[in-house]
Amino acid sequence: MEKLIYSFPASKTVEQPAHVGVVGSGDLEILVEPTDENKTVVEIRTGITGFQDTWKKVIERFVSQNDVSARIRINDFGATPGVVSIRLAQAVEVSTNGTNHN
Amino acid sequence: MAQIITESLVESLARERAFQLLDKGSAYEILSPFDGLESPHLVAQNIVPQFDDGMIIVNGTLNGQQTVIISIEGNFQGGGIGEVSGAKLAGTLEKLIRECEKGNKINPIIIYDTGGVRLQEANYGLLSIAEISAAIVALREFVPVVGIIPGKVGSFGGMSLTAGLCSALIMTREGRLGMNGPEVVQQEAGLRELDPRNKQLIWQMIGGAMRYESGLADILVEDDIPNYKEAILSIWNGEIQLKHRTKQVDYYLSLFKSLDVQEKVTPQQAKEYLNTNQVNVNIDLSAPTEAVNTTGSKWFELLANGQPSISEVPSVLVADTVISGVKARLIAVVPNPENIYYRARNGEVGLLEGWTIAKYVRQAIEEDKNSTEKRLIIPIVDVPSQAFGYHEELFGIYLACSAAVDAYATARLSGHPIVAALVGNAISGAFLSHGMQANRLIALNDDGVNVHVMSKKSAALITQRTIEELDEAAKEVPSMAYDIGSFKKLGALFKLLEGVNAKEPNSDDKDQLVNAISEAYNDIKNDNNRDLSCRLKSDIAQSSGRKASIQVREMIEQQWR
Repeated sequence: MEKLIYSFPASKTVEQPAHVGVVGSGDLEILVEPTDENKTVVEIRTGITGFQDTWKKVIERFVSQNDVSARIRINDFGATPGVVSIRLAQAVEVSTNGTNHN
Repeated sequence: MAQIITESLVESLARERAFQLLDKGSAYEILSPFDGLESPHLVAQNIVPQFDDGMIIVNGTLNGQQTVIISIEGNFQGGGIGEVSGAKLAGTLEKLIRECEKGNKINPIIIYDTGGVRLQEANYGLLSIAEISAAIVALREFVPVVGIIPGKVGSFGGMSLTAGLCSALIMTREGRLGMNGPEVVQQEAGLRELDPRNKQLIWQMIGGAMRYESGLADILVEDDIPNYKEAILSIWNGEIQLKHRTKQVDYYLSLFKSLDVQEKVTPQQAKEYLNTNQVNVNIDLSAPTEAVNTTGSKWFELLANGQPSISEVPSVLVADTVISGVKARLIAVVPNPENIYYRARNGEVGLLEGWTIAKYVRQAIEEDKNSTEKRLIIPIVDVPSQAFGYHEELFGIYLACSAAVDAYATARLSGHPIVAALVGNAISGAFLSHGMQANRLIALNDDGVNVHVMSKKSAALITQRTIEELDEAAKEVPSMAYDIGSFKKLGALFKLLEGVNAKEPNSDDKDQLVNAISEAYNDIKNDNNRDLSCRLKSDIAQSSGRKASIQVREMIEQQWR
């Protein structure tokens, strides 16, 4: 297991917390929690080691498209960069539009 | 053409499954991912955890009735039961018992999608499953406990025993219900016994349709949400008559005594056989031709004081004796090379053994039902494993084990003190069926006494690690180790006896065990609780062994509304 942490400046607050995904084969789970610290902090735990550069690029791309003051925690079980990006977009969608369960 | 869109349960994640079934807007989650109660033991082994540990508890209403759905996430670690996930399930059921005792009727539904014990946490899974089983047996007296097995994983391992205990089971064709997964049967018994690549055969053996048509599942549904709801309501409103299969001891025992497995029975033949109404009850089984001389049989003979076994099945020894002035029934599972089930000749708990244990435990309950002094029951534990075989899976070994669990748990709840004596191996489903439901566990400190969930070879295969890696992990996580000293660290043992010769016991050794049993007996007598809660109250459990299990239960209580 490898732990990675990235931090970027941010200005917009998130509406509500969000949880998406599952720690299953080729997938990941993402937890988004609003903060008022004006930054996006992404904490990653991944079972696949040695892909820091790829993670950095995927997260940078996400942050460049989404301005969110939030703590984002990721548990990854071998998701591809495409899956990671889609799940991140889904997480932002849920925290903005409130389509959590129920 | 009209397009029919189904709301699939099979294709949904565990959390979606729970919310889909409950009335919209009625439900809230207990111990959600935001509480971050993940498995400390996976992290210690460098394995990525999940924030909810793969167990989802949702409280709400279904068709207006108070309902709690406990849904297992099959995508995470194969739905394996670890300490946290196990405590979430057991703790919720225990909470429901307390609510029902107060008169608050809340309907429990368990959505199964699990391979059984999570091998990376091993004995925590075993302890949890014993607690889940105990809670189902107690809760069933108040409300029907409904189990749903939609697939894709199905329900396997120790969790299949808990499924067997449910008041009613709903399955789909995609769901499977069996004890040992096909890969494990192949690993333990060889390719000729069962080829796990033959998917068609596997589903014919243990798939939802087969289980339903054999009378082992109550309702078979097409995978669409309204169908599940309809099925659940038909159980609640009494349209479906509850079968109480684990109590049909005479029927199943005589069925399996008269079965011929010299040639492979096909799934079609098995289905017909399981639907037989009339069975021959007068069958004598072949006993061993030479004296059985195992650790378990030696201890049985010592404690029985010359009393012969009254059991009608030679691989299960049963005798009534007196232990320090207290009436006691001894039960031991021993090898029988003449066993008609060739995969159960070395002392494994198989189809016959599970149902036989159930028979003699229930007999004691029945005989003592009007007595204030309920007989002490002593399972003598020296069991290498459950039986791994084609016929065992085909005919539902899980249910034989459920029946044994049910009998012991029912005896405990009706006031029989149960003290298990671990004198040899206490492995996996065999230990769950024979010993784990005891009020108190006593073990001998000996290298022949081991507690575990799977052989190292199979565990390595399933978790995709080497045996060396498993041994290394066991140093960090005591629940993964096999030795009794490590098991003690989990806090469930009442006593670990030092200096007793386990393998060649003499009369001094016997006296030591008898004293320990008396001590345990008195401890039970001074305790008002008939559940398994003492395993969480020991000093070791509180200070280290079961910290997460205790915390989970406290948080369920806090978040309940």
